[in-house]
Order: sequence, then structure tokens, then C-alpha cells
Amino acid sequence: MTDTRKPGRAAGRSLIALGLFMLLGMVVVTALGPWVAPFNPSATSPDSLAGPSAQHWLGTDSIGRDVLSRLIIGGRTTLLITFVAVAVALAGGVVLGLLSGYVGGLVDQLVMRALDVIFAFPVFLLAIAVVAALGPTVPNLILTIAVVYTPRLARVVRGPVLSVKRWDHVEAARSVGVGEFRIAVRHVLPLVVSPILVETSLVLAQTIFTVTALSFLGLGPPPPDPNWGGMLSEGRQFMELAPLTVIGPACAIVFATLTFIVLANGLRERLDVTGK
Amino acid sequence: MIRLALTRVAWMVPILLGVSVVAFLLMRALPGDFVQASAGTTELAPEALDTIRRSLGLDRPVWEQYLDWLARVLAGDFGTSFVTQRPVLDELLPRLLVTAELTFFAGLMALLLGAGSGLAAARLRGRVDWLVRTVNGILLAVPNFVFATLVVLLAGLYFPEVGIFNYTPFFTDPLGNIGSMLLPALSLALAVSVTISENTRAAVLEVSSQDFVMVARAKGLLPRTVLRNYLVRNALTPVITVTGLQLASLLGGSILIETIFTIPGMGQHLFESVTTRNYPVIQAIVLVAATIVLLVNVLVDIAYARVDARVRYD
Repeated sequence: MTDTRKPGRAAGRSLIALGLFMLLGMVVVTALGPWVAPFNPSATSPDSLAGPSAQHWLGTDSIGRDVLSRLIIGGRTTLLITFVAVAVALAGGVVLGLLSGYVGGLVDQLVMRALDVIFAFPVFLLAIAVVAALGPTVPNLILTIAVVYTPRLARVVRGPVLSVKRWDHVEAARSVGVGEFRIAVRHVLPLVVSPILVETSLVLAQTIFTVTALSFLGLGPPPPDPNWGGMLSEGRQFMELAPLTVIGPACAIVFATLTFIVLANGLRERLDVTGK
Repeated sequence: MIRLALTRVAWMVPILLGVSVVAFLLMRALPGDFVQASAGTTELAPEALDTIRRSLGLDRPVWEQYLDWLARVLAGDFGTSFVTQRPVLDELLPRLLVTAELTFFAGLMALLLGAGSGLAAARLRGRVDWLVRTVNGILLAVPNFVFATLVVLLAGLYFPEVGIFNYTPFFTDPLGNIGSMLLPALSLALAVSVTISENTRAAVLEVSSQDFVMVARAKGLLPRTVLRNYLVRNALTPVITVTGLQLASLLGGSILIETIFTIPGMGQHLFESVTTRNYPVIQAIVLVAATIVLLVNVLVDIAYARVDARVRYD
């Protein structure tokens, strides 16, 4: 704790500001979607595969739907799945990591070995198999992604908990009769928040990939509701005629991923979290 | 050394058992019923379904079915494909080779790009460092299937005469085969090269500040010699480890890349099986891929201990 004024801290602050700004923009536009979007995303028109115009800023797709409106509404589905799934994974990761790290012993062994099994699968492959078995619906996608990313977050929680639980203030709390559950939640958990925040932003970026890639393969939320991965996949059929049907969703996916990577990098420098 | 290798391999056994349980349960979690699924769209009488169920042993307790299934898998019998009615393994093996080739090229490209840019960033610092890190940050945000789609789009718009979907088998035309693999391998390699680049940069920077490098410089060795014999050699260990551990993301990414570039590998096979609900094939691919990833991780672990004398597992 001697050298807390590293040059990274200032850079971290501006990166966090940039990331939050991008996140806010994305969330506001998609949340206000139905009111902001110029057209009904499912309304077709005879004007198909049109280029950009004053009416259709990003042109229209193969059955004449407005690409911009579909991007805005599609963002709702994609981001909703991402946020809810990561929230569930975070809850699961904190509970398992805290349980494993704080209680230790046999519980720790059992939890970690179970997580090792999930770690053995390539993440995306496991997600495909689970969604294929359960069927591609929004709740199933959320469940799958939560299961796939819980081990990663649990491991990040467990590591620092192992050392923090030996600190003096924990011993002090115990000696004045504070219950174990309360110690774990009130005296250990707050001290391991930094790495959890960084890892959560990274997992958010990864989840954007997983959700859009699953949708790209046809394992996304069922039509007719648009989503970014599905749009990218549909657009491929006529992309030489209307490149924006592909470039639009591609930019949206990259923007969302970049948002969370910028946030993660900013948080890492600001909070001085070392590691990969 | 041998003891370490044996411990690592022994550690794999319970994990593999767990993996097989997950793969087995995936099939049991099917909505509806396995027999119904295997019948496809054909309507079967309930009595006929019962007969099939009994002949498949589906009326026995779950754990008995699991052991039975496991025994057959260990003997190399992954069941028959719902679509072609041929043994799953016979169809899978040739495709596995294609994916292995794609993964190999992608891994090689990622290693060259990543190690090269990471080394340049660490040695030249300044603008080069800034450039490499910025490009890495941007590449990290472009998912491989988005990059691949854009590559296909650009090729279609500006080079329509170049056929990028012409996958040629290796044994008909080796050079044409390698040519047709280049763009898919690059799409797959980019994200992985970022990880390797960042790790190389960190490793070289760490080694540069070690005393033995200073001594080597002080005794008047050529900068080139110091770079080759001291810096690169010592920084290589973590870099190789990272490359090995990236295999899982290469295998996962190959599903998307093979589908986009229509390469008849394991990933495309999985995609087709998902769309046709060919569950035995999905199950087999999940098992095989997880086993390969585990094996490689253990090999990397052992290699790491072999190279780096400081590593002790006890």
C-alpha cells in the first residue's frame, strides 16, 4: 500500500468515464427503442434492399424492413439477455466463490472439482450443446450463459477470499461474536470487490460474443423479434447488394464489446487489479 | 518428472468422468423424449415407442444406462447418426482432421503475429508499443465471426472472381488446400493473437529487467545475441503456455468460421447436427472436444514443468 499513485490511475479514470458514457448511450437508445426507432422493426415494405436514404438511414433488408429500427429493437433483446445472464452468473459466482473460499476444506474441494468439469469444455461449444438440448428461447439462453460463466466468476471470488479471511479484522470480528455468515458477507466480500468488478466487465464483453454468436448460428431468440447476431446472419444472403444489412449489426456488436473492454481496462487500472 | 506427469494424468480421470456425466445428461435433458427425437417427424404409435424404449434400455434406472453408455463410448462406439444412420465416429474422424488442420494454421498464425507484435512492443516501446496495444484493444472487440463475415463481404464486393468458398481436400491439391485455409485461419487467429501479444509483451518486459540480462549486456554481448539467447528464450515459456491454453477458444471459434467459409470440419458438422437435432453427434463432439482440450492442458502443464526448473507441483 505504499505506491498508490501510479500513472495508470488517471488514465483509468478517463477510460471508465468513456466506457460508462458508451454504456449509457447504448442503454438509453435501446431502452427508449420503441419511441426512438423510426419504423416498426417487423413492418415490411416493397422497397427491399434499398441503400441509405433520408427515410431509411441504414437502408432496408431483403423484405424491406428498416435496418436502423431493427438494430435499435434488436439491441434490446441482445443486451437484455446479456445483462440478466451475467447478473445471474455473478450471483452464482459470488455465492459459490465465497462458500468455497471462506468455508474451505471439503466444501471447497467439491465446489472446485465441479467447476473444473465445466472449465474442461470450450465455453462456446458447451453453450451450443446446452441451448440445442433445451431449445433456443430467451430464458434458456439466459440460463445457459449463466451456467457457462459462473465458474469463471467463482474462481475470481475464491482466490482473494482465501487470503482476506486470514486477515486480523476477520479474527477481531469473530472474537467479539459476529456470526460466520455475517463475517463472510460484511467483512470479507467488500474487500474482494475490485477483481470481481473487472472480471464482470470482461465476462460482459464475452457474453456479447456468446449471445450474438449463438444467434448467428440460429440458436438465438426465435423470430420475428430482431437481434444483432440473427441480423448479421440474415444479412449475409444479400450482402453484396445491401452491405449495410451486415455492416450495421457488425458495428453494433463491436461497439457493445468495445464498451465493456474499455470499462474493464479502466477499472483494472483505477482499482490496481493485477493478473491477466 | 515422471511422477508429476502421472499425477497430472491421474487428475484428468475424475474430470473426464464429470465431463461424460454432463454429456450424458445433455441427451436426457431433451425436451420431449429421446425416442421421439430419434424418430424425427415420423408419427409412431405409443406401443412402438415403448418397444424402442425397451430395446434401447431406456426403461432401466438412469445410472445403469449411464454405465452402459460409458462402456460403449470407451470402446469407441458413440452410437449412430440420426440423419445418416451410420456410426457417429466414422463420420466424425475425417472432419476432426480438417478441424485439426485449421486449428493448427490458426494457432501458428496467432503465435507468429502475437509473439512478433508483442516482442516489437516490448523492445521498441514508444509509438510502436502504443500502436500494438491500440490495435490489440480494437481486435479484441471484433468477434471472429464478425471479422469473417466482413472478410467474405469485402471479397464479394471487390474480388468477386476469387472463390473463397472453394474448400479443397488436402490430398487432391495440397497447395490449393492450404490456400483455401488462409483466410479462415486468419479470422480464427486474430483474437487469439491478441492474448499472445499481450503476454509476450509482459514476459519480455519482465525478463528485460532481470539481473542476468544486465550482466549479459555489461559483458559486451551483441544486442542481437542478448535478444536471441537471453530475452526470447526465457520469455518463450509463458508464451507457449498461453498458446496451448488458447486451444479451447480456437476449437469453439472453428464452429463459426467453418460454417461461414463452408469448410467440412467438426465445427460445421456440429452446426448441421444442431439444425437437424442430430443429438448423438452433438454429444460425441462435445465429449471429443472436451477431452482434447483437457489433454492439451495437461501436456502444456507437463511441458511447462519440464522447461522451467522453478516449477514444482507438490
